[in-house]
Amino acid sequence: VTDMLSRAATAGRDLGGCPVLHRDFAPAQPAGCHWELAKELREGSPVYFNTFAQGYWIFTRHEAVKEIYKQPEIFSSESITPWQPDPIYRFVPTQVDAPDHIKYRRILNPWFGPRAIDAAEDRMRDLCRRLVDEVAPAGRCDFVADFGLRFPTEAFLSMIGIPPAEADRFVRWVEDFFGGFGGDPEGLAAMTAALDGIRAYWAQALDERRGEAEPREGDLASHLLHATFDERPLTGTEMLDMLTVLVLAGLDTTRGELGYLFRHLAERPEHRRLLIERPELIPTAVEETLRYYTIVFGDGRKVTRDLEFHGVQLKKGDMVYGLVSGANRDPDAYEDAGSFVIDRKRNNHMGFANGPHRCLGMHLARREMQLAVQEWLRVIPDFRIAPGAELTERGGGAMMTLERLPLEWEVAG
Amino acid sequence: MRLVVDGAVCMGHGRCYALVPELIECDDEGYPTLRDVPIDVPGDLVDFAEEAAGTCPEAAIRLIAD
Repeated sequence: VTDMLSRAATAGRDLGGCPVLHRDFAPAQPAGCHWELAKELREGSPVYFNTFAQGYWIFTRHEAVKEIYKQPEIFSSESITPWQPDPIYRFVPTQVDAPDHIKYRRILNPWFGPRAIDAAEDRMRDLCRRLVDEVAPAGRCDFVADFGLRFPTEAFLSMIGIPPAEADRFVRWVEDFFGGFGGDPEGLAAMTAALDGIRAYWAQALDERRGEAEPREGDLASHLLHATFDERPLTGTEMLDMLTVLVLAGLDTTRGELGYLFRHLAERPEHRRLLIERPELIPTAVEETLRYYTIVFGDGRKVTRDLEFHGVQLKKGDMVYGLVSGANRDPDAYEDAGSFVIDRKRNNHMGFANGPHRCLGMHLARREMQLAVQEWLRVIPDFRIAPGAELTERGGGAMMTLERLPLEWEVAG
Repeated sequence: MRLVVDGAVCMGHGRCYALVPELIECDDEGYPTLRDVPIDVPGDLVDFAEEAAGTCPEAAIRLIAD
Protein backbone atom coordinates (compact mmCIF):
# COMPACT_ATOMS: atom_id res chain seq x y z
CA VAL A 1 0.00 0.00 0.00
CA THR A 2 2.75 2.43 0.89
CA ASP A 3 4.36 1.76 -2.48
CA MET A 4 1.26 2.75 -4.40
CA LEU A 5 0.79 5.81 -2.23
CA SER A 6 4.38 6.90 -2.63
CA ARG A 7 4.29 6.50 -6.40
CA ALA A 8 1.11 8.55 -6.55
CA ALA A 9 2.69 11.24 -4.39
CA THR A 10 5.87 11.47 -6.44
CA ALA A 11 4.29 11.07 -9.88
CA GLY A 12 4.66 14.28 -11.78
CA ARG A 13 6.91 15.70 -9.10
CA ASP A 14 9.99 17.48 -10.42
CA LEU A 15 12.88 15.81 -8.61
CA GLY A 16 15.47 17.97 -10.32
CA GLY A 17 17.07 14.96 -11.94
CA CYS A 18 18.33 13.58 -8.64
CA PRO A 19 18.65 9.79 -8.35
CA VAL A 20 15.59 7.96 -7.06
CA LEU A 21 15.75 4.87 -4.87
CA HIS A 22 13.20 2.74 -3.11
CA ARG A 23 14.65 1.47 0.12
CA ASP A 24 13.41 0.44 3.55
CA PHE A 25 16.27 1.11 5.95
CA ALA A 26 14.61 -0.75 8.83
CA PRO A 27 15.58 -4.44 8.34
CA ALA A 28 18.50 -5.87 10.31
CA GLN A 29 21.76 -6.42 8.40
CA PRO A 30 25.16 -7.99 9.06
CA ALA A 31 27.07 -5.69 11.45
CA GLY A 32 28.63 -2.67 9.78
CA CYS A 33 26.46 -2.78 6.65
CA HIS A 34 24.79 0.52 7.38
CA TRP A 35 28.07 2.45 7.28
CA GLU A 36 28.95 0.74 4.01
CA LEU A 37 25.56 1.71 2.63
CA ALA A 38 25.99 5.30 3.85
CA LYS A 39 29.37 5.43 2.08
CA GLU A 40 27.90 4.08 -1.15
CA LEU A 41 25.11 6.65 -1.03
CA ARG A 42 27.51 9.51 -0.19
CA GLU A 43 29.86 8.61 -3.02
CA GLY A 44 26.98 8.09 -5.46
CA SER A 45 25.17 11.41 -5.08
CA PRO A 46 24.80 14.32 -2.64
CA VAL A 47 21.01 13.90 -2.71
CA TYR A 48 18.48 11.16 -3.46
CA PHE A 49 14.73 10.85 -3.41
CA ASN A 50 13.60 7.71 -1.59
CA THR A 51 10.13 6.59 -2.68
CA PHE A 52 9.71 4.48 0.46
CA ALA A 53 6.64 5.39 2.57
CA GLN A 54 5.32 8.79 1.42
CA GLY A 55 8.70 9.60 -0.12
CA TYR A 56 11.51 11.73 1.27
CA TRP A 57 14.84 13.37 0.39
CA ILE A 58 18.18 11.98 1.56
CA PHE A 59 21.18 14.29 1.88
CA THR A 60 24.37 12.29 2.17
CA ARG A 61 27.26 14.70 2.78
CA HIS A 62 28.64 16.56 5.76
CA GLU A 63 27.95 20.07 4.49
CA ALA A 64 24.24 19.51 3.77
CA VAL A 65 23.61 17.54 6.97
CA LYS A 66 25.18 20.35 8.97
CA GLU A 67 23.08 22.96 7.19
CA ILE A 68 19.91 21.00 7.97
CA TYR A 69 20.82 20.89 11.65
CA LYS A 70 21.79 24.56 11.76
CA GLN A 71 18.59 25.91 10.16
CA PRO A 72 15.82 24.65 12.46
CA GLU A 73 13.49 27.41 11.26
CA ILE A 74 13.50 25.73 7.82
CA PHE A 75 13.97 22.12 8.94
CA SER A 76 11.50 21.54 11.75
CA SER A 77 11.76 18.76 14.35
CA GLU A 78 7.99 18.25 14.31
CA SER A 79 8.85 14.81 12.90
CA ILE A 80 12.34 13.29 13.05
CA THR A 81 11.45 10.03 11.25
CA PRO A 82 11.15 10.75 7.52
CA TRP A 83 8.98 7.70 6.82
CA GLN A 84 6.53 8.89 9.50
CA PRO A 85 5.75 12.59 8.98
CA ASP A 86 2.99 12.40 11.61
CA PRO A 87 4.22 9.99 14.31
CA ILE A 88 2.06 8.47 17.07
CA TYR A 89 4.34 9.90 19.77
CA ARG A 90 5.40 13.43 20.56
CA PHE A 91 8.77 13.72 22.22
CA VAL A 92 9.27 16.84 24.32
CA PRO A 93 11.50 18.74 23.75
CA THR A 94 12.87 16.62 20.87
CA GLN A 95 9.97 17.44 18.55
CA VAL A 96 9.40 20.99 19.74
CA ASP A 97 10.70 23.96 17.72
CA ALA A 98 11.72 27.46 18.78
CA PRO A 99 10.74 29.42 20.82
CA ASP A 100 9.37 26.78 23.21
CA HIS A 101 12.17 24.26 22.72
CA ILE A 102 14.81 26.08 24.74
CA LYS A 103 12.36 26.65 27.61
CA TYR A 104 11.94 22.91 28.06
CA ARG A 105 15.65 22.33 27.60
CA ARG A 106 16.51 24.81 30.35
CA ILE A 107 14.42 22.78 32.78
CA LEU A 108 16.30 19.58 31.87
CA ASN A 109 19.83 20.83 31.09
CA PRO A 110 21.09 21.03 34.70
CA TRP A 111 20.10 17.40 35.32
CA PHE A 112 22.37 16.23 32.54
CA GLY A 113 25.10 18.90 32.65
CA PRO A 114 28.75 18.02 33.32
CA ARG A 115 28.50 19.03 36.98
CA ALA A 116 25.56 16.73 37.62
CA ILE A 117 27.49 13.93 35.92
CA ASP A 118 30.59 14.65 38.03
CA ALA A 119 28.46 14.43 41.16
CA ALA A 120 27.03 11.07 40.07
CA GLU A 121 30.30 9.55 38.84
CA ASP A 122 31.19 7.53 41.94
CA ARG A 123 27.73 6.01 42.04
CA MET A 124 27.85 5.18 38.33
CA ARG A 125 31.29 3.64 38.72
CA ASP A 126 29.98 1.39 41.49
CA LEU A 127 27.09 0.24 39.27
CA CYS A 128 29.54 -0.44 36.45
CA ARG A 129 31.93 -2.39 38.69
CA ARG A 130 29.14 -4.56 40.00
CA LEU A 131 28.00 -5.48 36.49
CA VAL A 132 31.57 -6.26 35.36
CA ASP A 133 32.16 -8.33 38.50
CA GLU A 134 28.96 -10.25 37.78
CA VAL A 135 29.97 -11.31 34.26
CA ALA A 136 33.75 -11.69 34.76
CA PRO A 137 33.88 -15.16 36.42
CA ALA A 138 31.86 -16.80 33.61
CA GLY A 139 34.50 -16.07 30.98
CA ARG A 140 31.81 -15.14 28.48
CA CYS A 141 28.71 -13.01 28.07
CA ASP A 142 26.42 -11.43 25.55
CA PHE A 143 27.80 -7.95 25.99
CA VAL A 144 24.70 -6.26 24.57
CA ALA A 145 22.18 -7.89 26.91
CA ASP A 146 24.36 -8.47 29.98
CA PHE A 147 26.12 -5.13 30.10
CA GLY A 148 25.41 -2.78 27.18
CA LEU A 149 21.79 -2.03 28.00
CA ARG A 150 21.91 -2.73 31.75
CA PHE A 151 24.64 -0.25 32.62
CA PRO A 152 23.16 2.83 30.92
CA THR A 153 19.73 1.92 32.27
CA GLU A 154 20.88 1.64 35.87
CA ALA A 155 23.11 4.73 35.57
CA PHE A 156 20.31 6.80 34.05
CA LEU A 157 17.76 5.71 36.65
CA SER A 158 20.18 6.59 39.43
CA MET A 159 20.69 10.07 37.86
CA ILE A 160 16.97 10.85 38.01
CA GLY A 161 16.19 9.32 41.39
CA ILE A 162 14.64 5.97 40.44
CA PRO A 163 16.01 2.82 42.16
CA PRO A 164 18.24 0.79 39.78
CA ALA A 165 16.17 -2.26 40.79
CA GLU A 166 13.52 -0.93 38.38
CA ALA A 167 15.94 -1.50 35.46
CA ASP A 168 14.36 -4.75 34.25
CA ARG A 169 11.05 -3.29 33.22
CA PHE A 170 12.69 -0.28 31.54
CA VAL A 171 14.98 -2.58 29.55
CA ARG A 172 11.97 -4.49 28.25
CA TRP A 173 10.06 -1.34 27.27
CA VAL A 174 13.05 0.07 25.42
CA GLU A 175 13.50 -3.16 23.43
CA ASP A 176 9.83 -3.27 22.47
CA PHE A 177 9.64 0.39 21.54
CA PHE A 178 12.58 0.29 19.16
CA GLY A 179 11.37 -2.96 17.65
CA GLY A 180 8.58 -0.91 16.07
CA PHE A 181 10.39 2.39 15.48
CA GLY A 182 11.48 1.59 11.93
CA GLY A 183 7.86 1.29 10.79
CA ASP A 184 7.55 -2.53 10.94
CA PRO A 185 3.79 -3.20 11.33
CA GLU A 186 4.40 -6.31 13.47
CA GLY A 187 6.49 -4.26 15.85
CA LEU A 188 3.92 -1.50 16.05
CA ALA A 189 1.67 -3.22 18.58
CA ALA A 190 4.58 -3.95 20.93
CA MET A 191 5.83 -0.40 20.43
CA THR A 192 2.46 1.04 21.39
CA ALA A 193 2.22 -1.25 24.44
CA ALA A 194 5.72 -0.20 25.55
CA LEU A 195 4.82 3.48 25.22
CA ASP A 196 1.67 2.87 27.27
CA GLY A 197 3.73 1.05 29.90
CA ILE A 198 6.30 3.82 30.22
CA ARG A 199 3.66 6.51 30.39
CA ALA A 200 1.66 4.60 33.01
CA TYR A 201 4.82 4.18 35.10
CA TRP A 202 5.50 7.91 35.04
CA ALA A 203 1.87 8.84 35.57
CA GLN A 204 1.94 6.81 38.77
CA ALA A 205 5.30 8.25 39.83
CA LEU A 206 3.94 11.77 39.30
CA ASP A 207 0.76 10.95 41.26
CA GLU A 208 2.84 9.72 44.18
CA ARG A 209 4.79 12.98 44.25
CA ARG A 210 2.03 15.46 43.48
CA GLY A 211 1.09 17.91 46.24
CA GLU A 212 4.40 17.69 48.09
CA ALA A 213 5.53 21.10 49.33
CA GLU A 214 9.17 20.73 48.27
CA PRO A 215 10.78 18.89 45.35
CA ARG A 216 12.46 15.64 46.40
CA GLU A 217 16.25 15.86 46.28
CA GLY A 218 17.68 14.30 43.11
CA ASP A 219 14.26 13.20 41.86
CA LEU A 220 13.47 14.44 38.34
CA ALA A 221 9.75 13.58 38.34
CA SER A 222 9.31 15.51 41.56
CA HIS A 223 11.38 18.38 40.17
CA LEU A 224 9.16 18.63 37.08
CA LEU A 225 6.10 19.01 39.32
CA HIS A 226 7.73 22.14 40.75
CA ALA A 227 9.15 23.48 37.46
CA THR A 228 7.61 26.33 35.49
CA PHE A 229 7.24 27.11 31.81
CA ASP A 230 6.55 30.79 31.09
CA GLU A 231 5.63 31.10 34.77
CA ARG A 232 2.96 28.38 34.64
CA PRO A 233 3.36 24.83 35.95
CA LEU A 234 4.05 22.10 33.39
CA THR A 235 0.95 20.18 32.33
CA GLY A 236 0.63 16.48 33.07
CA THR A 237 1.02 15.70 29.36
CA GLU A 238 4.20 17.76 29.09
CA MET A 239 5.75 15.98 32.07
CA LEU A 240 4.84 12.57 30.69
CA ASP A 241 6.21 13.44 27.25
CA MET A 242 9.48 14.69 28.75
CA LEU A 243 10.03 11.71 31.05
CA THR A 244 9.12 9.24 28.32
CA VAL A 245 11.57 10.56 25.75
CA LEU A 246 14.38 10.55 28.29
CA VAL A 247 13.86 6.83 28.81
CA LEU A 248 13.76 6.10 25.10
CA ALA A 249 16.63 8.39 24.12
CA GLY A 250 18.93 7.68 27.02
CA LEU A 251 19.15 3.92 27.23
CA ASP A 252 19.04 2.41 23.77
CA THR A 253 21.51 4.89 22.25
CA THR A 254 24.28 4.33 24.77
CA ARG A 255 23.80 0.58 24.47
CA GLY A 256 24.30 0.95 20.73
CA GLU A 257 27.56 2.91 21.06
CA LEU A 258 28.89 0.60 23.79
CA GLY A 259 28.30 -2.44 21.59
CA TYR A 260 30.31 -1.05 18.67
CA LEU A 261 33.05 0.25 20.97
CA PHE A 262 33.50 -3.15 22.61
CA ARG A 263 33.33 -5.00 19.31
CA HIS A 264 36.15 -2.70 18.17
CA LEU A 265 38.18 -3.37 21.31
CA ALA A 266 37.58 -7.13 21.01
CA GLU A 267 39.02 -7.03 17.49
CA ARG A 268 41.87 -4.60 18.16
CA PRO A 269 44.16 -5.85 20.97
CA GLU A 270 46.63 -3.02 20.29
CA HIS A 271 43.90 -0.49 21.09
CA ARG A 272 43.01 -2.32 24.32
CA ARG A 273 46.66 -2.21 25.37
CA LEU A 274 46.97 1.45 24.43
CA LEU A 275 43.97 2.44 26.53
CA ILE A 276 45.30 0.44 29.50
CA GLU A 277 48.73 2.04 29.22
CA ARG A 278 47.47 5.53 28.40
CA PRO A 279 44.03 5.92 30.00
CA GLU A 280 44.12 9.65 29.18
CA LEU A 281 43.26 8.56 25.62
CA ILE A 282 39.94 7.02 26.68
CA PRO A 283 37.99 10.28 26.10
CA THR A 284 39.38 10.69 22.55
CA ALA A 285 38.67 7.01 21.84
CA VAL A 286 35.09 7.59 22.96
CA GLU A 287 34.72 10.65 20.69
CA GLU A 288 36.15 8.70 17.77
CA THR A 289 33.68 5.90 18.49
CA LEU A 290 30.87 8.45 18.27
CA ARG A 291 32.19 9.66 14.90
CA TYR A 292 33.27 6.43 13.27
CA TYR A 293 30.56 4.19 14.69
CA THR A 294 27.73 6.73 14.54
CA ILE A 295 24.56 4.88 15.49
CA VAL A 296 22.26 7.51 14.00
CA PHE A 297 22.00 6.30 10.42
CA GLY A 298 20.17 9.50 9.52
CA ASP A 299 18.13 12.23 11.21
CA GLY A 300 14.80 13.43 9.82
CA ARG A 301 13.31 16.91 9.67
CA LYS A 302 10.14 18.40 8.16
CA VAL A 303 10.45 21.26 5.67
CA THR A 304 8.57 24.41 6.72
CA ARG A 305 8.60 26.33 3.42
CA ASP A 306 9.35 25.88 -0.26
CA LEU A 307 13.03 26.37 -1.02
CA GLU A 308 15.88 25.26 -3.21
CA PHE A 309 18.45 23.26 -1.27
CA HIS A 310 21.59 21.67 -2.69
CA GLY A 311 20.18 21.64 -6.20
CA VAL A 312 16.69 20.29 -5.55
CA GLN A 313 13.36 22.01 -5.00
CA LEU A 314 11.93 21.23 -1.55
CA LYS A 315 8.28 21.87 -0.78
CA LYS A 316 6.64 22.74 2.51
CA GLY A 317 5.73 19.48 4.29
CA ASP A 318 8.46 17.40 2.59
CA MET A 319 10.56 15.20 4.82
CA VAL A 320 14.36 15.30 4.61
CA TYR A 321 16.82 12.76 6.00
CA GLY A 322 20.34 13.94 6.84
CA LEU A 323 22.59 10.90 6.58
CA VAL A 324 24.64 11.54 9.73
CA SER A 325 26.45 8.21 9.48
CA GLY A 326 27.67 9.17 6.01
CA ALA A 327 28.51 12.74 6.99
CA ASN A 328 30.67 11.65 9.93
CA ARG A 329 32.90 9.67 7.56
CA ASP A 330 32.91 12.28 4.79
CA PRO A 331 36.50 12.72 3.53
CA ASP A 332 35.70 16.36 2.73
CA ALA A 333 35.20 16.95 6.45
CA TYR A 334 37.78 14.69 8.15
CA GLU A 335 41.35 13.65 7.54
CA ASP A 336 41.62 9.91 7.20
CA ALA A 337 37.83 9.82 7.50
CA GLY A 338 37.56 6.11 6.78
CA SER A 339 39.80 5.00 9.67
CA PHE A 340 39.27 4.75 13.41
CA VAL A 341 41.95 7.14 14.72
CA ILE A 342 42.01 6.49 18.44
CA ASP A 343 43.79 9.73 19.37
CA ARG A 344 42.03 11.97 16.82
CA LYS A 345 42.32 15.51 18.13
CA ARG A 346 40.10 17.63 15.90
CA ASN A 347 36.89 15.69 15.90
CA ASN A 348 33.89 17.95 15.40
CA HIS A 349 31.60 15.00 14.68
CA MET A 350 27.80 15.16 14.63
CA GLY A 351 27.27 11.95 16.59
CA PHE A 352 25.24 13.95 19.11
CA ALA A 353 23.58 15.99 16.34
CA ASN A 354 24.17 19.68 15.89
CA GLY A 355 22.27 22.88 16.48
CA PRO A 356 19.67 23.46 19.20
CA HIS A 357 18.59 19.81 19.41
CA ARG A 358 22.04 18.47 20.20
CA CYS A 359 21.74 15.46 22.47
CA LEU A 360 20.64 16.40 25.97
CA GLY A 361 22.29 13.31 27.44
CA MET A 362 25.67 13.70 25.70
CA HIS A 363 27.64 14.33 28.89
CA LEU A 364 26.06 11.31 30.54
CA ALA A 365 26.61 9.08 27.50
CA ARG A 366 30.29 10.02 27.20
CA ARG A 367 30.93 9.43 30.88
CA GLU A 368 29.17 6.07 30.79
CA MET A 369 31.28 5.01 27.82
CA GLN A 370 34.49 6.17 29.53
CA LEU A 371 33.60 4.38 32.77
CA ALA A 372 32.69 1.21 30.90
CA VAL A 373 36.11 1.11 29.18
CA GLN A 374 38.01 1.86 32.41
CA GLU A 375 36.20 -0.65 34.56
CA TRP A 376 35.95 -3.42 31.98
CA LEU A 377 39.63 -3.26 30.97
CA ARG A 378 40.65 -3.21 34.65
CA VAL A 379 39.02 -6.61 35.22
CA ILE A 380 38.96 -8.10 31.71
CA PRO A 381 41.96 -6.69 29.81
CA ASP A 382 41.81 -9.33 27.07
CA PHE A 383 38.70 -10.59 25.35
CA ARG A 384 37.54 -11.70 21.92
CA ILE A 385 34.39 -12.18 19.93
CA ALA A 386 33.18 -15.78 20.40
CA PRO A 387 34.39 -17.83 17.40
CA GLY A 388 31.68 -18.40 14.83
CA ALA A 389 29.42 -15.63 16.11
CA GLU A 390 27.58 -13.88 13.31
CA LEU A 391 27.01 -10.31 14.28
CA THR A 392 23.94 -8.49 13.03
CA GLU A 393 22.74 -4.96 13.64
CA ARG A 394 19.27 -3.56 13.98
CA GLY A 395 18.31 -1.55 10.94
CA GLY A 396 18.79 2.15 10.42
CA GLY A 397 15.09 2.79 10.93
CA ALA A 398 15.90 3.43 14.58
CA MET A 399 19.45 3.81 15.85
CA MET A 400 21.79 1.03 14.81
CA THR A 401 22.77 -1.39 17.54
CA LEU A 402 24.32 -4.84 17.57
CA GLU A 403 21.63 -7.39 18.29
CA ARG A 404 24.09 -9.62 20.16
CA LEU A 405 27.80 -9.42 20.92
CA PRO A 406 29.06 -12.75 22.36
CA LEU A 407 32.42 -12.11 24.03
CA GLU A 408 34.86 -14.60 25.60
CA TRP A 409 37.92 -14.30 27.83
CA GLU A 410 40.22 -16.48 29.91
CA VAL A 411 39.32 -16.90 33.57
CA ALA A 412 42.26 -17.24 35.94
CA GLY A 413 42.44 -20.26 38.23
CA MET B 1 46.09 35.29 20.90
CA ARG B 2 42.54 35.66 22.18
CA LEU B 3 39.67 33.19 22.07
CA VAL B 4 35.97 33.98 21.96
CA VAL B 5 32.97 31.67 22.19
CA ASP B 6 30.08 32.84 20.01
CA GLY B 7 27.16 32.62 22.42
CA ALA B 8 24.49 32.36 19.72
CA VAL B 9 26.25 29.51 17.94
CA CYS B 10 27.46 27.53 20.99
CA MET B 11 25.12 24.67 21.89
CA GLY B 12 26.99 23.45 24.96
CA HIS B 13 28.66 20.33 23.57
CA GLY B 14 31.36 20.80 26.20
CA ARG B 15 34.32 19.78 24.09
CA CYS B 16 36.18 23.07 24.67
CA TYR B 17 36.21 23.07 28.45
CA ALA B 18 37.11 19.39 28.48
CA LEU B 19 40.21 20.29 26.40
CA VAL B 20 41.20 23.60 28.02
CA PRO B 21 39.66 23.79 31.48
CA GLU B 22 42.37 26.36 32.33
CA LEU B 23 40.64 28.82 29.96
CA ILE B 24 37.00 27.83 29.74
CA GLU B 25 34.67 26.90 32.57
CA CYS B 26 31.16 25.57 32.32
CA ASP B 27 27.96 26.61 34.05
CA ASP B 28 25.37 24.30 35.57
CA GLU B 29 23.69 23.75 32.20
CA GLY B 30 26.95 22.83 30.49
CA TYR B 31 27.56 26.06 28.55
CA PRO B 32 30.84 28.00 28.79
CA THR B 33 30.50 30.73 31.42
CA LEU B 34 32.19 33.35 29.24
CA ARG B 35 30.24 33.79 26.02
CA ASP B 36 30.95 36.61 23.55
CA VAL B 37 33.77 37.81 25.84
CA PRO B 38 37.28 37.39 24.39
CA ILE B 39 39.72 35.56 26.69
CA ASP B 40 43.52 35.97 26.52
CA VAL B 41 45.24 32.70 25.61
CA PRO B 42 48.64 32.25 27.31
CA GLY B 43 51.42 31.10 24.98
CA ASP B 44 51.57 27.59 26.45
CA LEU B 45 47.86 27.02 25.78
CA VAL B 46 47.78 28.17 22.15
CA ASP B 47 47.89 24.60 20.81
CA PHE B 48 45.02 23.56 23.06
CA ALA B 49 42.99 26.63 22.07
CA GLU B 50 43.47 25.76 18.39
CA GLU B 51 42.46 22.19 19.11
CA ALA B 52 39.33 23.39 20.92
CA ALA B 53 38.39 25.57 17.94
CA GLY B 54 38.90 22.67 15.54
CA THR B 55 36.94 20.28 17.73
CA CYS B 56 33.87 22.43 18.39
CA PRO B 57 31.00 20.69 16.57
CA GLU B 58 29.22 24.02 16.07
CA ALA B 59 32.30 26.00 14.95
CA ALA B 60 31.45 28.46 17.74
CA ILE B 61 35.05 29.22 18.77
CA ARG B 62 36.96 32.04 17.10
CA LEU B 63 40.67 32.68 17.61
CA ILE B 64 41.94 36.24 17.24
CA ALA B 65 45.65 36.68 16.52
CA ASP B 66 47.42 39.50 18.37
